[in-house]
Amino acid sequence: MGAVAMLPDILARPDIWRGDRLAQALLPTVASGFAALDAELPGGGWPRGALTELLVDGAGLGELSLLTFALAGVREAGGWSLLVAPPYPLHAPAWVAAGVDLARLAVVSPASPRDALWAMEQALMSGAPRAVVGWAPYADARALRRLQVAAVAGGALAFLFRPTRMATEASAAPLRLQLAGDGDHLAVRILKRRGPPLIAPMSLAIPRPARLRRHERPLASRPVLRQFAHA
Amino acid sequence: MNVLWLAVRFSDSSLTPSLACWAGQFTPRVSIAEGALLLEIGGCLRLFGGLEDLRQDVMQGLAEQGIAARIAVAAMPQAALWLAEGGGDSLDALTITDLSWPAGVAEKLTRFGLRRLGESRRLTFSALARRIGKPAATMIARAYGEAPDPRPDFVFPLRFDEAIELPAVVENASALLFAARRLTAALAGWLNIRQAGLRECRLDLIHRQGTTPLPLRFAEATRDGNRFERVLRERLERLQLAAPVERLRLVVDSVEALPGASGGLFDEGGAKESMAALVERLRARLGEERVFGIAPVAEHRPECATRQASTGGVIVASVPPRPFWLLAQPESLAEVAGRPHRRGPLHLLAGPERIESGWWDHEEGIGDLRRDYFIALTHDDRWTWVFRELRSPGGWFLHGWFG
Repeated sequence: MGAVAMLPDILARPDIWRGDRLAQALLPTVASGFAALDAELPGGGWPRGALTELLVDGAGLGELSLLTFALAGVREAGGWSLLVAPPYPLHAPAWVAAGVDLARLAVVSPASPRDALWAMEQALMSGAPRAVVGWAPYADARALRRLQVAAVAGGALAFLFRPTRMATEASAAPLRLQLAGDGDHLAVRILKRRGPPLIAPMSLAIPRPARLRRHERPLASRPVLRQFAHA
Repeated sequence: MNVLWLAVRFSDSSLTPSLACWAGQFTPRVSIAEGALLLEIGGCLRLFGGLEDLRQDVMQGLAEQGIAARIAVAAMPQAALWLAEGGGDSLDALTITDLSWPAGVAEKLTRFGLRRLGESRRLTFSALARRIGKPAATMIARAYGEAPDPRPDFVFPLRFDEAIELPAVVENASALLFAARRLTAALAGWLNIRQAGLRECRLDLIHRQGTTPLPLRFAEATRDGNRFERVLRERLERLQLAAPVERLRLVVDSVEALPGASGGLFDEGGAKESMAALVERLRARLGEERVFGIAPVAEHRPECATRQASTGGVIVASVPPRPFWLLAQPESLAEVAGRPHRRGPLHLLAGPERIESGWWDHEEGIGDLRRDYFIALTHDDRWTWVFRELRSPGGWFLHGWFG
C-alpha cells in the first residue's frame, strides 16, 4: 500500500485552488507596476498565457498607462509587443517616453474586425511576441474563447480591450477588469479573477501628464463607486 | 573524411533539376545520374547528426514533396545507385536482373548462369570485359571500388528559375500549396548552396492563357523552406483563381548573402515561431501595409513626429508630455465663453505649449503650424491634448488622448 495522501498535503499543492483564496502562481505573472493592483491579482500580476480583458469606453482615461509598466518590462526582457487594431494612430514620442521599445513594437491595423481577431489569435498562438494588446469591440463569446485558447498555447501577456457594455456577457477570459476615470486616478474594478470576487473598486494613482489640483476637478470629489453606478 | 554517397532513385525524370537544387540543403556535392541523384554526404554527416538522422531527413523531405523514391548509401557511387535499385545492404546479394545495365548486358550475364552480382566476381576484369563489354565490366569494377569513378558535379544555377508541370489541372488555389512545396523545397536547397537568403520571390501560376504572378515577401532575408511555405499558404488561401493552373514557376530576382545556419534576427528561446515569421505571415494575409512598426522623428509638429518603420529609429530629445494616441484628423471643438467644450467644458490643466514650425513645408505635407497646445481634462475624466489654432479662422481642436 502506498502512503495515504493527507488533506493538508493535497491542499498545499500548487494546482489545488481553494475558492476563498487567490490562486497562487498557477500561471507566471508580470508585475503591473501598481502595488495595490498586484495585491489583488492572482499570482501578483498580469497573467502570462491567459487572456486579460479590460472593459473601458473610449480613450483618455489612463487605460494605456495601466499597461505601460508591463510593456516596458517586455522590452527589458528583449521581447516584442504587438498591438492589434488600435483605435487611433500611435504617437511615437509618448510611447518612447513611457519606456516602450518601439524597435520591438509592431502594429497590426487590419481592414475588418474579423481580420483583427484572426491576427490576434495567430500572434498569441505563435508565442513570438511577449505581449499582445488588442482592441476588439465586436468580439463575441466564441471569439474570446478562441483567444483564450491561443493565449494558453503561446504563453504571452494578452490584453483585450472591449467596451463596458460587454461586462454582462459571458467571457472566457480568466481575468476581467473594468476601468473608469477618477480624476487623476484610474478606477479599476475586478469583475472576475481566479479567487474570491472583489466588490470594492480600487483607485490607482497612475502617471498623468499634468497635475490636477482639487479645485480643478470638473465635478466635486466623487466616491469611486459612483463611477461604476451605470455598469 | 570518408567519402560516402547517398543515391536517391525516383521515377519522374522531369523533377531532376528541382530535386538537385533541393539536395543542396544537405551537401554541396550533388551529381545527376540516370533516374537518380547522387549526394556526397561523407563531409556533412556530423552536421546532420549521423547517417541515420541524415537518411531520415532525406526521406522526410522527399515524402513532404510527395515523391516516391528509394535511397541507399555506399562508399562508391555506382554501388549506391545499384543498392537503391535492388534493395538490401549487400552488393554481392543484388539480383542482376533488378539492376540497370547498358542494353543487352543483363541477358548476357544470366545466359552464362550468373544470378547475383557477387557471382560475377569470380571472373577477372578482362574475362568479364570480353563477355559483356568493357563499359559494363567497368561499372562492376567501379561498384566494388576497383576503378575510379569520376562523377561531374551538378552545377547549381546562378539564378533560380524553376518550373514544374502539374500532374492534373488545378482549379482550387489551396490545392496548389502541395505542388508548390517542390519548388519551395528546391529554393531552400539552392539558397543554402548560394549561402544566401531572400526577401522577395515570385510564384507564377501559369494558366493555359496568361499568368498570375504571386509575389511573396519576407520580413528579413531567409532561406527557411517552412517560412516560404507559411507565407505561400496565407497567400493561396485568399486567392481566387481566375483560370485553372497548369504549371507553377518560382523565380528569384535578387538574393542577399546570408551566411551559415542562422537562428534568425528576432528569434527568442521558447517561441514556436519567430517574430519575423509571424509578421510576414500576418502581412501575407492582411496586406503588406497593415503590419508595421513606428518610430519617433525629431519634429516639433506632432503630425510629423511619428513615422511608420520596419524597425526602430532615432532617439528624440525629451519633450513635454505627449499623448499615446494622436488623431489622424484633429477634432473640432465648440468654444463656450473662451473655453473649449466637448459634451461639457474642458479644464485646461497645463499649457500653453506653443508649436510653431514647418514654414518650409508649404507645398506638400501638413504645412506651417501655429498652435497653442494644452493638456485638458474632460467632464468625464478623460485626459486630452487640445490646441487653439492661432492662424485664422482659429478655433479649438482635440488632437490626442493620453490613455
